[in-house]
Order: sequence, then structure tokens, then C-alpha cells
Amino acid sequence: MVNGLAIAIQAAMLSALYAVVSIGFTLIFGVGGVLNLAHGATITIGAFAGFYAVSAFDGGVFVAVTAAVLVSGAFGGVLYLGLIRPFRDDPTIIMILTLIVAIAIEYLFLVVEGTSAYTVPQLVAGTTTVMGASVPYNLVAIFVASWLIIGAVFYWVNRTDTGRAIIATSMDSKGAFLVGIDSDRINLLMWVVASILAGIAGYFFGSYLTIGWSMGRTPLILSFAIVILGGLGSVRGSVIGAYLIGSIEVVTTNVINPQLQGLAPLVAVIVILLVRPSGLYGKEIDIG
Amino acid sequence: MTDRTNTERVRSIDRTTFFEWLDPRTKPARHKFGLIGLGFLAVLPTVLTPLQALTVASAFFMALFAMSWDAVSGYTGQISLGHGVFFTAGGYTSTLLNLEFGLDPLLTIPLGVVVAVLAGLLIGIPTLRLRGPYFALVTLIAPLILLRIFVVYSDILGGATGLPRPDQLFGLQAGDAIVTYYVAFGLFVVVLIVLLAVTRSDAGAVFTAIRQSEDAVSSAGLNPAKFKIFAFTLSAAVGGLAGAAFVHLPVGSPTPSSLLTLFVNVEIIIAAMIGGVGTIVGAAIGGMILVLLREFLSNLAVTVPVLGVSLAEVDTIVFAIVTIGIVYYYPDGLLRSTITLGRRIRAWGASKSNDRSRLSRRQPRETAATSEETVNEGNQKHGGNGNER
Repeated sequence: MVNGLAIAIQAAMLSALYAVVSIGFTLIFGVGGVLNLAHGATITIGAFAGFYAVSAFDGGVFVAVTAAVLVSGAFGGVLYLGLIRPFRDDPTIIMILTLIVAIAIEYLFLVVEGTSAYTVPQLVAGTTTVMGASVPYNLVAIFVASWLIIGAVFYWVNRTDTGRAIIATSMDSKGAFLVGIDSDRINLLMWVVASILAGIAGYFFGSYLTIGWSMGRTPLILSFAIVILGGLGSVRGSVIGAYLIGSIEVVTTNVINPQLQGLAPLVAVIVILLVRPSGLYGKEIDIG
Repeated sequence: MTDRTNTERVRSIDRTTFFEWLDPRTKPARHKFGLIGLGFLAVLPTVLTPLQALTVASAFFMALFAMSWDAVSGYTGQISLGHGVFFTAGGYTSTLLNLEFGLDPLLTIPLGVVVAVLAGLLIGIPTLRLRGPYFALVTLIAPLILLRIFVVYSDILGGATGLPRPDQLFGLQAGDAIVTYYVAFGLFVVVLIVLLAVTRSDAGAVFTAIRQSEDAVSSAGLNPAKFKIFAFTLSAAVGGLAGAAFVHLPVGSPTPSSLLTLFVNVEIIIAAMIGGVGTIVGAAIGGMILVLLREFLSNLAVTVPVLGVSLAEVDTIVFAIVTIGIVYYYPDGLLRSTITLGRRIRAWGASKSNDRSRLSRRQPRETAATSEETVNEGNQKHGGNGNER
């Protein structure tokens, strides 16, 4: 039972992190109608940016997270302006291009850093005990930070003028254009914000586990699965989807077999797709 | 009586047109070049060293993989991100049947194709009925699930390192480079013919229509899902065949890193993008370019400045940059761009010779203006239809 509690705590906390990654993924899709398969590579970039910043400036967690935010945000902006904008009417090409970029970045890290795993400083060191289950403070910090980020994104999208412009663009970019919203700027903003979310999440993943060249793959696949499950383009659906997928992942790896890591959520997604093709909260979206 | 003569007449017309159709002289220039290219590949081993012959043989397999991807993703626009599943289904089935039961590769390869087709139906039927990125998601997931299964049951399936080498096709040895070359070439030609026949048929027209607009296809009374599943199954069969033959030849081995991993899946897409998607021939050319370019890079002794590694070590990054450049500047791929260029040159040549004949009739002063005019005419007439296949 104690073990069960520990698993539940771990599931609740990791799922919040998956939600942060998935929100970025779904924002880009919801607004631009394109899939960013380089989202996982952005996670890796954010984690390594933090890692390099720590070793270069001898700094702490704050320096590392700042570096992760700046580098991944810049990467998202450059990616959008250089590669996505010229092809934004062709989701197929963008899907392929972002996958190619993702592979190139992974490969670059593989060549430069090799296959070894690196550690980055934890957000908060130490461990506490909740009703007999040991919980690292780092995981608690990740959980709190993730929910702060999720709350901020919710507030930003639903309560501010920029958020209304984002929603308008996602509903109908021509209509948004008619009322004076520059959809190009909104799209750029989405890519930058989504990449920052991925970059922060990358550092968080790194502080919980380790960082390495292929660390972005599992989160990418899971967030792809999460947003399909929650409904493409739905922020609320992403959070709920993240909790479902995250819980399935943590429970199967801890209770059944650690070798099943990454397998059970994917099978679950395929089953859900068969039963409910447009996800839990998704609108019917045709990206061709 | 009249009916019979009519039928006979129709038959005889058919026959003459068929033979005329076979006659290469009646073909448009791009087909002539294609046939010359195949002829060149047929005699190429006479000038190659055994090692080079093996390299080109493995280039044929990359071409086969890329063609298999192009048949479904290039034509119907349903992007498969995990086509390696079918190469693996074919290759692993064939290897396991050979290793465990000692069956001959000639028997196990067709069984590998059957399993690949079943895998295609298993993935295609649930996902291709849906619109949107679901197909892409499932094809992205499928190789990961398969790899995970290999690791969990690694005592039978060899885990991440793969299976031991099975018996070779026709008992070939690593030294039989020329025979290997011709086996790969024969497979390449057969698959090329089959895929060209299908994609140039009415079904191929429907595939292309699905890429443009599924609604249009539905409103014409055709079921897009049926055609997508057909394209996908055909593609799976070709991929399974290529994968199964690959592992029984000296050029290939039944390992995830050569059949299944994300790098393999993306390389195939890169190959098709370089050559030009939705053409089959473009994918074939792109696949061969990819392997030959890699071979070329590995022979270069160039060091990348900042990273301090040889260029061959970062070949995947080079391919990625090349692909992005091609998508930027030649979005239709090298094949279509070359055909368009060829048409321009021909139009330009034709207008030149026209000018020369006019030159004798006209005053010299007028020629400059006239020739420019004719070139423009020629461009509009011949250059504008680059998408025509």
C-alpha cells in the first residue's frame, strides 16, 4: 500500500511535466494546424542548454533554467521563421521537415556528446517522507513548477487579449485577420512559447532522470499520444490526457515490468483511437 | 459475324498498339533516358570492383525501401513515419523461419511478404479510415512498440542488437558480388515495373486525387479509405519483400539498426524527398543517391571544423541539410526539376533552330527581338507543365 502511494505520487507529479510538454505541442497544432515533431528535440536542447550553462558559468539551477528558456525559445523562433513559415500551408511538408530537423539535432548531440547520460543539478535536493512513502523534493518542485506553468498558460490563453487573439486565430485565421490579428505573429509567438515550455520541461526531465542525446524521444511520442487522446488543439484535453497517459506509464513500469516503459501508453492510445477517433475534447480537424 | 470481325479488329489494334507501346522509339524523352539509365545499370558491374558492386547493390535496396514508402506516402499523402515496420516484418519473419525451422530462403521470403501485408492491414485498417494525423502517429509508434517487443523477448527476437545472419539466398557468399548485384537489380526492376504499372493506372490517379482532396474522391463515388488501404498494403508488400530479400543477401542483416530504427525510417523519407515524392522513379533515384553519397562522404578525408569529427560521421546531418535545401529550392524533387530543365533546354534549342531558319528570310536587325520572343513562347509552351508525369 505504501508502495502504491509512492507510485500514485510519482504519477501525479510526472504527469504534470508531461502536461507542460503536451500543451506546447497542442498550442502549435491548434493555432497553426501543423505538427511539430521537433518538439522532442527542443526538450533535448533545453536540457543541454541548462547542462552547458551550469558547467560554463558554474551557476545553479536558476542559471540553468534561464539558459534552457532562452536557448529553446530562440530555437523555436528560428525554426518557425526559417523553416516553418515558408511552408505553413503544407502541414505534410512541415511534419516531414520537423522530423528531419529533430533527427539532425539528435544526431548532432550523439556525435558531440556520445551515448553517455549526464546529470544536471536538481531543483531542490533532499527527500521527504509522506505517510511512509519517500518523495524527493526535486519531484515536488517539478510538480509545483509545472502546475504554475500550466496555470499561467491557462490564464494567458483564456484571460488576456493575446490569448483571445490566439483563440481567434485557431478558430479561423482569415476571420482573425479581418479583425486585425496578425496570424503570422501569433504563430511565431506559439512556436517560441511552445519551445520554451519544452525547454523547461527538458531541464526538469534531466533533473529527475538524466540527459542524453535521445532523451526527447519518449516525451515527444507520449505528448503526441497525449494530445491525440485529449483532442488536438485542446489545452484542457492535454492536461487530462497527460494525467491518463502519465498514470498508465508510471503504473505499468512500476507494477508490471520496467521493460514495458513507453509501451503501455502507446497501446492505450491505439485502443482509444479505435473507440473515439477525435479524442476526448477534440474538434474534428482535417490536416490532410 | 460483324461482332466477331469487330472484336478481331479491336484485338489486332490492341496488339499493334501494345507492340508500338513497347517500342522505345515511341516514348517521350524522359522515358528514353530512364531506359538508358536502366541499361547502364545492367552493364555497370563490368567496370565495378566487387566492393563497389556490393555498394550499388545496397543502393538498390535503399531505392526499394524508398519506392515502397513513396507508393503510399508520396501518392496518397498519408505520411508513414515508420515504414521500417514492414522491412522488419519481412526480414525478421524470413530470418526466423530460416533459423528456427531451416526453411529455404526462397520459401521464407514470400512468407515474410505475407506477414508484412498482414502488418499493413493491422495498421492500415484502423487508422486510414480516420482523417488527420492519426496515421502518422500510429506509424511513428509502431516501430517503437516492435522494438520494445524485441527487447522484452530478446531470447528469441535478438533484442536491440538483432538476429544472427540467416542462410543466404542461392547460397551466396560475401565474395559473390556480381550475382548479389544482379539479384538486387532484378528485384529493383521487377518492383519498379509493378509500382509504375499500379501508380500509372486508374488506381494511381485515385491515389493522387486522395492527396489533393479526399472529399473530391468521395463525391466521385469512390471510397478513399479503400484506396488508401490498397496503397498501404501494396507498399507493405513491397517493403516486406525488400526487407526479406535484404537479410538473405551479403549486403543486409536482420538488425533493428538496418531495418527498423527512427534513423532508417527518416532516411527513407529523405531519399524520397531528394528524388521527388509521388513519382516512384524519383524515390528510386533518391535512394540510390543517398547510399552513393554516403559512400562518397566516407571516402572524403574532410574534418568538420567545430565538431572535430570526419564528415562521414555526420552524414545524417549532411543529408538533412541537403534535404531541407532541396525542399526549399526544388520542392518537387530532383527528378521533376530535371525533367522541367530538360524541357526548357529543348524548347530553347527548338527556338534557336527556328531563328536560324528565319534568319535567312529576315533582315538581321530584327533577329534579337524575335529570338527573345520565341524563347518566351517556348517556355510557356513546354516549361510550364513540370508536374505532368
